[in-house]
Amino acid sequence: MILGLSLALIAGSLLSLQNIFNNKVNERAGSWATTTLVLGLGFLASLTIGLIFEGKHLFILGKMEPWYWFSGLIGVGVVVCLVQGMKLLGPTYAIAIALTSQLGFALLWDSLGWLGLDKVPFSFKQLIGVLVIVSGIFVFKLGGRSESQEPAKMT
Amino acid sequence: MRGSLFAFLGGAFITLQGVANTRISRDIGTWQAATITQLTGFIMALIILMFVRDRKWKRLNQVKPLYLTGGALGAVIIFSNVTAIQRIGVTLSISIILIAQLSLTFFIDSKGWFGLVKQKMKLPQFIGLGLMIAGVVILRF
Repeated sequence: MILGLSLALIAGSLLSLQNIFNNKVNERAGSWATTTLVLGLGFLASLTIGLIFEGKHLFILGKMEPWYWFSGLIGVGVVVCLVQGMKLLGPTYAIAIALTSQLGFALLWDSLGWLGLDKVPFSFKQLIGVLVIVSGIFVFKLGGRSESQEPAKMT
Repeated sequence: MRGSLFAFLGGAFITLQGVANTRISRDIGTWQAATITQLTGFIMALIILMFVRDRKWKRLNQVKPLYLTGGALGAVIIFSNVTAIQRIGVTLSISIILIAQLSLTFFIDSKGWFGLVKQKMKLPQFIGLGLMIAGVVILRF
């Protein structure tokens, strides 16, 4: 429990830093050069850390199913959708909607246990919790701050 | 309308990505999953970059080197994300990730670090974060 919470806090903090950095790259080099660089470096870092912790075992891919090779394309879909969404709606609304949909699908996923994940049974309490979080997102995003500096979430 | 649809799908893909990484990690290991998904994503993005012929990539050398290294954080992000989902489920993981992310960005904005224009912390952002934390408490207890 504590480990899960701490790792989620770490992931969120690093995502914040990564988005700020990526935005700086994006301003100059455009979204595809940025995405290519970000995923390339992420690959090299994972490979390095994996080799340190697992050595040659890193290359032993247990039950590799064919679709695993294509799952990296989801990240490309994320970039396309967010870039288009922000272009058409402006960052504030686009990000508020994206965060809301992220949470909505999370709740759906926990409840249905798709892709063989452990099911977290749906309860009314969970729905209320998610709705309160979503209301927080909208107050945060739409509550009077200038549009231009909104950090965009790219990956 | 079309913009909302894109944003909605973008959010759905982010969740799908976390869930897919978690599933793949279970079968082949977390570092293996992080390595493979980022490699295939990188190859695809590179193909698109060549296809769209966006010459702006040449301006990568105008970016401060520190900012170019953000991608490397992806390794730790995927590892933490997958392990969190395994331990506490998708909804709670993503809720906490969003709170940490918005709070830190908000804090960095208010300090004006990394050359961002300094922004005053305002009441709505505090209320928003408060509501988000309250939501997590409801989720959990």
